[in-house]
Amino acid sequence: MSSPAGPSRIGGLGPRHRKPPTVEPRVPTEDYDEEHERLTTNFNHPRNRSAIEQYMEAPHAKQITVVVLTVLAFIVRFAKLNHPDQVVFDEVHFGKFAAYYLRREYYFDVHPPFAKLLLALAGWFVGFEGDFDFLNIGDSYSANNVPYWGMRALPAILGSLTVPVVYYIMQECGYSTIIAAFSAIIILFDNAHVTQSRLILLDAILIFFMSLTIYSYVKFRKYRYHEFTFDWWAWMLATGVFMACTWSSKVNGILTVVAVGIAVMVDLWDLLDWRKSDNERITKHFLARVVGFIVVPLIFYLFFFWIHFAILTHSGTGDGFMSPAFQETLIGNELLMNSHEIRYFDTITIKHVNTKNLLHSHPQRYPRDYPDKRVSSQGQQVTGYPHEDENNNWIVVPTKALPETGRGRIVRHNDIIQLLHVQTDSFLMTHDVASPGYTTHQEFTTLPKDQMHRYNETLFHLHLIDGYEGQVLTTKANHFKLQHAVTTVYMMLPGHELPDWAFNQQEVNGHRQPEPEGSEIWVGDAIVAGEHLDELDERLGNQKDRKPKSMNFFSKFIQLQDLMFAHNAGLTASHPYASSPSSWPFAKKGISFWTQNEGHKQIYMVGNLVGWWTAAGAVFLIFGIFPASIFAERRNIPVLTESVTHRLWNSCGFFVVVWVVHYAPFFLFSRQLFLHHYLPAHLASALIAGAVLNFICTETINYPISYRGLDTPPKPREYADLGVKGPVFVGVFTLLQFSLFIFMAPLTYGTPGLDGDEVNRHRLRKSWTLHFASKEMADL
Amino acid sequence: MRPSEVTLNFGTPQDSPRTSSDFEEIPYPHHWPSSQGQPEELPLHYMSEETTRRRVHQHPPPGPAGYADYPVDPTGQDDGGKDVYAKMRQSHGSLGGGRPRRLPPPPPTSVREFVSQNLEHIPPVFYTLFSCWTRFHGIGKSDVVVWDEAHFGKFGSHYLKREFYFDVHPPLGKMLVGLAGLLSGYNGSFEFKSGEKYPDHVPYVAMRVMIATFGVAMVPLAWYTAVELGMSWKACHLVALMVLLDVGWLCISRFILLDSMLLFFTFTTVFFLTKFHNQRYYPFSFDWWMWLLFTGISIGCVTSVKLVGLFVTALVGVYTVEDLWHKFGDLKMSLRDQLWHWGARVACLIITPIIVYMITFKIHFLILNHSGPGDAQMSSLFQANLVGNDFARNPLEVAVGSKITLKNMGWGGGLLHSHVQTFPVGSMQQQITCYHYKDENNDWIVLPRWDEPAYDPNAALRFLKDGDVIRLRHSPTLRNLHSHPIPAPITKLNHEVSCYGNETVGDVQDHWKVEVVDDIKRGGKSKFDRIHSLTTRLRFSHVHLGCYLRAANAVLPQWGFKQIEVSCDKENNPEDIRTHWNVESHWNDRLPSGNAKFYRSPFLRDFWHLNVAMWTSNNALIPDPDKFDVLASTPFDWPFQHLGLRMCGWADFQVKYYLIGTPLIWVGSTISLFIAVLLLGFYLFRQQRKYADMEPREWDHFLYVGKIAFFGWFFHFAPFLVMGRVTYIHHYLPTLYFAVLMFAHIFDHFFFSAKRFSEKTKNIIFGVNVFLQLAMFYWFKELAWGIEGPVTEYKHRGWRSSWNLYN
Repeated sequence: MSSPAGPSRIGGLGPRHRKPPTVEPRVPTEDYDEEHERLTTNFNHPRNRSAIEQYMEAPHAKQITVVVLTVLAFIVRFAKLNHPDQVVFDEVHFGKFAAYYLRREYYFDVHPPFAKLLLALAGWFVGFEGDFDFLNIGDSYSANNVPYWGMRALPAILGSLTVPVVYYIMQECGYSTIIAAFSAIIILFDNAHVTQSRLILLDAILIFFMSLTIYSYVKFRKYRYHEFTFDWWAWMLATGVFMACTWSSKVNGILTVVAVGIAVMVDLWDLLDWRKSDNERITKHFLARVVGFIVVPLIFYLFFFWIHFAILTHSGTGDGFMSPAFQETLIGNELLMNSHEIRYFDTITIKHVNTKNLLHSHPQRYPRDYPDKRVSSQGQQVTGYPHEDENNNWIVVPTKALPETGRGRIVRHNDIIQLLHVQTDSFLMTHDVASPGYTTHQEFTTLPKDQMHRYNETLFHLHLIDGYEGQVLTTKANHFKLQHAVTTVYMMLPGHELPDWAFNQQEVNGHRQPEPEGSEIWVGDAIVAGEHLDELDERLGNQKDRKPKSMNFFSKFIQLQDLMFAHNAGLTASHPYASSPSSWPFAKKGISFWTQNEGHKQIYMVGNLVGWWTAAGAVFLIFGIFPASIFAERRNIPVLTESVTHRLWNSCGFFVVVWVVHYAPFFLFSRQLFLHHYLPAHLASALIAGAVLNFICTETINYPISYRGLDTPPKPREYADLGVKGPVFVGVFTLLQFSLFIFMAPLTYGTPGLDGDEVNRHRLRKSWTLHFASKEMADL
Repeated sequence: MRPSEVTLNFGTPQDSPRTSSDFEEIPYPHHWPSSQGQPEELPLHYMSEETTRRRVHQHPPPGPAGYADYPVDPTGQDDGGKDVYAKMRQSHGSLGGGRPRRLPPPPPTSVREFVSQNLEHIPPVFYTLFSCWTRFHGIGKSDVVVWDEAHFGKFGSHYLKREFYFDVHPPLGKMLVGLAGLLSGYNGSFEFKSGEKYPDHVPYVAMRVMIATFGVAMVPLAWYTAVELGMSWKACHLVALMVLLDVGWLCISRFILLDSMLLFFTFTTVFFLTKFHNQRYYPFSFDWWMWLLFTGISIGCVTSVKLVGLFVTALVGVYTVEDLWHKFGDLKMSLRDQLWHWGARVACLIITPIIVYMITFKIHFLILNHSGPGDAQMSSLFQANLVGNDFARNPLEVAVGSKITLKNMGWGGGLLHSHVQTFPVGSMQQQITCYHYKDENNDWIVLPRWDEPAYDPNAALRFLKDGDVIRLRHSPTLRNLHSHPIPAPITKLNHEVSCYGNETVGDVQDHWKVEVVDDIKRGGKSKFDRIHSLTTRLRFSHVHLGCYLRAANAVLPQWGFKQIEVSCDKENNPEDIRTHWNVESHWNDRLPSGNAKFYRSPFLRDFWHLNVAMWTSNNALIPDPDKFDVLASTPFDWPFQHLGLRMCGWADFQVKYYLIGTPLIWVGSTISLFIAVLLLGFYLFRQQRKYADMEPREWDHFLYVGKIAFFGWFFHFAPFLVMGRVTYIHHYLPTLYFAVLMFAHIFDHFFFSAKRFSEKTKNIIFGVNVFLQLAMFYWFKELAWGIEGPVTEYKHRGWRSSWNLYN
């Protein structure tokens, strides 16, 4: 361990050289002595503590507590793990994704891959070959010989291990065994956590890594007087790695990163004072944080994606989300198999990428008058139409001289082309007339072949997306934009349905700045006729032999990130079991995971009301205690000892930050939200509950808890003592929590079935929507 | 902030080697005792005052000697790491900043002295005159109804005709429009159709001038606010000039719109607040009370013009909370004074605005005592008391066979409605909604159950009683009110309510049980038997499913024409007023017409009802995803002028107005906000590192003006981001004021009040700034004064390609 007072500190200016701490003088009053007595003599000798406290703080008592908690956690999470032998709730997704890994087929999901990779690994471990599709909730596993219990075991193991991690977080923060056990028990016998851990879902994995992140950060913080030592680095890197695992398990893991980020910034802000650190020291600290909390997590995050791409090498359900260049890297994908280069005078169909509509025209004309008193050109309609039709056929006509045969006839990037509508023998054009649905957009229509005086208006500039000079236009593989040569508008399909006069087809129009994004992107769908169609297969060599192309990992990664972000924001459809964040802390509404009519069995994911209300109450209390403490200090009223104040703000304050960061952002998200999004915040509230219980029960605390540095000034040690009331409270609480857990077990484990009256009895809150409730409910 | 210890200067350059060592070095005391009064003037041989000041702790002094000077805070490195309270103790007892205290001048003895004492009032007089010119110049050039004049002109007319109307904005602004109409001799007979030419009898020029007067007053208010904020003279000029020369503010002030009043009252609120701030050393003096009270009244007025006024209220709120927090920490203040301070804020800043707001509604109700287009938004009883309403002549007691309309009694509730359109989801049957507009689609006929003999118009009358099971047939489409176990389209946990079947087809799911809650006039339900229209509160329970007919404040999508969803609620909650209905209109030829005297609807009830209705309608103004609104813009389009707004038709023969600001003012002020945030971060960073860049007073002033400007801007901007409703560029106009204050503040901080620049440099910077503003105003003035002829002649005004000035 190197001495921090190295040569880096000029002239001994560092914090280590300073006077021993002095007690801030207080104004002497009548009660001063008594008050001072109370505030300074906090059980400076461990033997002064109550017997039960001394017993519980003994090392073997702690070990026994952890073992008991862990064993219980495994028992409640593994009990009846094989029931139901059917697909439950989001196993539809995550089981399926695991299967895709085992089949190596590319898929797309809004969540990063780490947790799903773990699930796939668990599946592989128990011999699952990915030959099951997890199509619907209720599909039978046993009928399809799926070793589902092995995949469920992984979240169950991690979910069980979360309990001792929570215990150790509290322990490391200096709370007594009883308090630490209390926090752990809130998680241990919680129906929501248990339900979530017993199924092939991501949340248990997310929560496990989140708790590990918090644990490592606490450890790191405790080593702060040993800066740049091995332990210090090790715990910082551990924090970074676990943070990356959390974030890579599920998108909302990013919140853990934010929570730790806030703590790190506060930490750095404190170090900024030049009395504590000169320029060199603060720079070193800053750079160390950058490495530990940014670079390392980022590398791990990237690494998981690298594995993701390395495994998924075959074409699969996710192809369609990706760019053509990406799709061409997948074995057996359609682009590779069916993409052909387009030559002039080929007849092709053109598809709108976002909406899958084909560019269409028919002899019907735009009506002269629109309802808003504008008039049209009465030209032939050009629309988007999703079905196959003769009217979708267009011939690509060159605007330059072509050689008789050969490569010169290929359509290339930046060519100026005309599109001839085959059925009506007219050219696609646009002009300065407002489109039917938009006053700001140009109308698209066609021009009969013989009207040569408007030739210029039929010219379109072909831009391939990310195209290079001379790049060949192929079907399916190249997305392109068509820009009108005269008015420079792009041909786009904004997603507006035309009225009856256009058979409710989609409007096609033009604008310089197309919105929504991507609405101007088209792709050649197929070559339906051409001069030498028989040689189509030979144009690009033998299709069957084509090798998948390669693509830079970072381009793949960035593309996937963009898509994940866009799709996550797009999950706004309403869902009967979706709930608003404000209803979460009190478990107002649960989620029906699974039902079975025969035997009236169901799984209903909802929290244990005893634990949730206790935790929520603790959060309310802490939001009362903080202001009260600030107000008291503002009026200079001494209430708390220094050690208790520090614990309240630094340790409990960190938990509150974790809670707020994992909860508040959901109020801003407009996407679909479910109760299980609260589980990480619930874990934080369990930590808060422990801290609050300690605060209520006693004015004592184990202090100091940070590892003392070589020249950290000594502090008088203090020892926590909960007396008898702490253990009694925790005992009663455990009893209540456990009883309710058992009472709710039929909903958590999905067995045994409940008849109508029993369901009504289990409906502890009116807002819970359980299935199979008996009829009279409505008349109550 | 540390006291300026730099005064220790022995007049020797520090780097000069000592030539003699024959005297003993005595360390100077490191904390100059403040009780000794002013630190003595020390010779400043070669350092300017500015340099001296900035030399404080620039670098940690090397060596142990330096260490001794800066005792380390003992709590700085303890187990907690950070001392939460140390920072709080640093703060001063009271907010600093603002205009420096000045003694009142002695009475002038000569004209020259009088003038010199009142020099600060001369510039605003000139600015006001200029402002009159810009605001009134060619104000009647466009003789058609421009933009929202179509709304606000019409609402003004309703006051003159005294007909009740409904609008999402509170009434003060529109009453002032009405007043302007009254004063200019307008009789209220014009329809104000958008784009229509004003007929001769509408004195629109006079009305516009009166409204524009509010815009004129913005300029002197801005000047005096800047003065009260304690800005330097140049900065004050800058603020006044920017308010004068912005074409956006100019343009919006020249029409019959509410924005100029909103801006005016926003400006007055800030002005009064700064006035009040400068009274902080004379608490409970007459002036102190006056400015505090004026602030409250001004808040009431601005909120009564548009609810946007709540944003400036938030600014005052934050200021007050901070102020009181300082008072709370002042241990020397007596409890009595504490309570007085708190009480004064509550009385002046909470109760007064609420009273002002309510008074405007009281006047609103007093003026609009005739039946008009907005009746349906109000409760049935309120409508019955309007002159020209025929509810009183409706038969009183409802019987089977009566044709009725049903009014939901929830706050802002509408009439039970159905129309031929069907649900695109769920059962696909005919829609049931709740709707405020009165038409025959609201008419329902009370009929007996399917298993009873059909209604016979000649049989004895059967009056409706509590517990009767009936069918409700929709009069125009002949379908029956129906519910079934299909999730409702929005409130998915409730059952869908639809209109189903016809005169002969139907089932038990058409049966509804009438449950009487009570009667407003006659009391509890045990006291009467028959159901009366208007006053009896009813609930409709679905016989088959046991659910209750309920109209929540959920708005249906475009397929339901944004009307309110009606569903059947499984929970039986008798207190839920959204399940309460009353019979509103009632027609039955076999019953005698009533002649009831209704008891008046209480004011507070109407007030609350109207406010909920306003709030609901405001939230329903959401952008339609299927429609491309060329006028609308999103908040991020505003600060950098991404989009402008065409205020009228764009044909060559029309006078055209384009709402966009002067680019220097808009973009420059936005940039200044970013700079301010960076600057604050920079200074805080330096402070945490324990460098002293400013004296306490300077720092307080920097913070005070910065906070007013930044929080004002933030509170006027951020809510639009989270608001679901459609937004337009004119929503940024009040916001802009705070950005302008920040612009001047940043210039003041960097240049005008900085000591490192010579007076000449400052003048040049000021001059260039003013010149650019004038030039840009000159360049863009036609956008606000009206473009005549083809717009292409103003080709080069389109500075950004995204402005739809030409195409």
